[in-house]
Amino acid sequence: MIDTYRNLDWDYYGPELIDALWETIHMVMVAFAISAWIGLTLGLLLYTTRAGGLLANAAVFWTVNFLVNTIRPIPFIILIAALQPVTIQLLGTGIGNTAVIHAMVWASSFGIARIVEQNLVTIDPGVVEAARAMGASRLRIIFTVILPEAFGPLILGFTFVIIAMIDMSALAGIVGGGGLGNFAIVEGYQRFRPEVTWLAVAAVIVMVHLLQILGNLGARKVLRR
Amino acid sequence: MSAENTADVRAGGAPLIEFRNVTRTFTTGKSSSVTAVDDVSFSVAPGEVYGVIGFSGAGKSTLIRLINGLERPTSGTITVLGREISRLSESKLRHVRSRIGMVFQQFNLFQSRNVAGNVAYPLKVAGWSKAERELRVQELLEFVGLADKAKAYPEQLSGGQKQRVGIARALAAKPDILLADESTSALDPSTTGEVLRLLRRANEELGITIVAITHEMEVIRSIADRVAVMDKGKIVEEGHVYDIFSNPRDHGEITFVGSALKDRPTAEDLSRIRQHTSGRLVTVSLKDSATVGAVLGSAAEHGVTFEIVHGGMNTTKNASFGLLTLALEGESQAVQQFVDSLKAAGPVQEVREGQEAQK
Repeated sequence: MIDTYRNLDWDYYGPELIDALWETIHMVMVAFAISAWIGLTLGLLLYTTRAGGLLANAAVFWTVNFLVNTIRPIPFIILIAALQPVTIQLLGTGIGNTAVIHAMVWASSFGIARIVEQNLVTIDPGVVEAARAMGASRLRIIFTVILPEAFGPLILGFTFVIIAMIDMSALAGIVGGGGLGNFAIVEGYQRFRPEVTWLAVAAVIVMVHLLQILGNLGARKVLRR
Repeated sequence: MSAENTADVRAGGAPLIEFRNVTRTFTTGKSSSVTAVDDVSFSVAPGEVYGVIGFSGAGKSTLIRLINGLERPTSGTITVLGREISRLSESKLRHVRSRIGMVFQQFNLFQSRNVAGNVAYPLKVAGWSKAERELRVQELLEFVGLADKAKAYPEQLSGGQKQRVGIARALAAKPDILLADESTSALDPSTTGEVLRLLRRANEELGITIVAITHEMEVIRSIADRVAVMDKGKIVEEGHVYDIFSNPRDHGEITFVGSALKDRPTAEDLSRIRQHTSGRLVTVSLKDSATVGAVLGSAAEHGVTFEIVHGGMNTTKNASFGLLTLALEGESQAVQQFVDSLKAAGPVQEVREGQEAQK
């Protein structure tokens, strides 16, 4: 097996793999940079507008909740296809990495919304009450109590989402995008070269491990345990 | 809410907190509701420590949250620091709240901030500058005896220390009123004493008015001037701590105060007592224990023998009281005369044995 890799045409596959890796990182980072904020906002809305919340508002809660429940279950491969008219309207093209980023933003924003909400509901309502009793405004409470109190679990939640987004980005190939997924299918699977496919697998595994270690370290630092 | 307003209220001797016919009802379903606070009226004077005691579920938590507007009344009016707060908007309420500190049963410290950060938070809310905040935090941590813990995080503190941080935080912005919501219920007896002494010092040294709700008699005994007994949303008894605790009560039911003080024999106690005595059972109040003692000393002259079968003494903030249950034996005439002279020394009650008789 070692011989297989020794005999591999590294002058060709090496740069190809690096390119694919960068494309994956690029897609994930750009999509995450956008969806993190959208998801955080939606998650905060879900948490604060629920009954008994700081900004309790049934209409807003049900609207956001309905949207999240509608978008989230759509399998990503179908979402890419279904969003294509919107993608073309918005970005002028329906193919390539940009189109995939667009679909990733949709899928991950609503996923993040749920994860943010789930982490916020575990905050002790007592600390929110304490801040209210001190005369803090609702916005101040959101930014100086709720988010800091949930920061550790949120880091872990976001790490989970980034890893899920690496998974999403692997489907870029179906609309002409690149990345590790495309590399594995086009260079490995379709050419009957499983050892090439495994290169992509190894790259993904290393990336996921590094991210999770980073996320755990960050959360541990914030949670002090 | 300006400082002058508050000063005026104090100078006039007007109550800092006044509830008039306040009711708070919670809807629990389509057609069902629970009345947590039912037509409650009371007032708290500046500098006073007002205790509210009752079983859990009596409506105490709702009552205390009505004072700083965390709960809104369904009907009635609430005046705090000279302002009618029951209909204030949330943003106007914030000004009133910044004049009221609150201490919680579960401490409710911010886990994401260290001790100094917790104490500084209300100061940030009140718009103090960084330099002022640092000075004030230092001062408060010294007041509660935790100056060396400024950099510690809540999970590194014991329960008593957490509550002291809670108190420092509640006192930070120099409030006029301190609300203590079961402030010692999560603590063991020795730390309870520590926290209660701190509350007492806050009242005596800083002149802060305190409203404390609790189900622990200990809290009322050691810090309260006046007490209200709550049951099923209503205030069923109210008065100076000493009067409420020392007067034999006869509501024909087991009251909270009675059951908490354990100063009267229960039906089980009575059946045990009855196994060895057939004498007349009376309970005498020890409001004036010296005189009661003198009367007891004269029992032989009345031709009466007595046995102490139940009782105990309790100490409040500034007096002690207690109840003694005696079994009196002798000729019924003589016993009656003895009881009459006891009555001159303090309130006396016959022990009801109805429940016991039914068994």
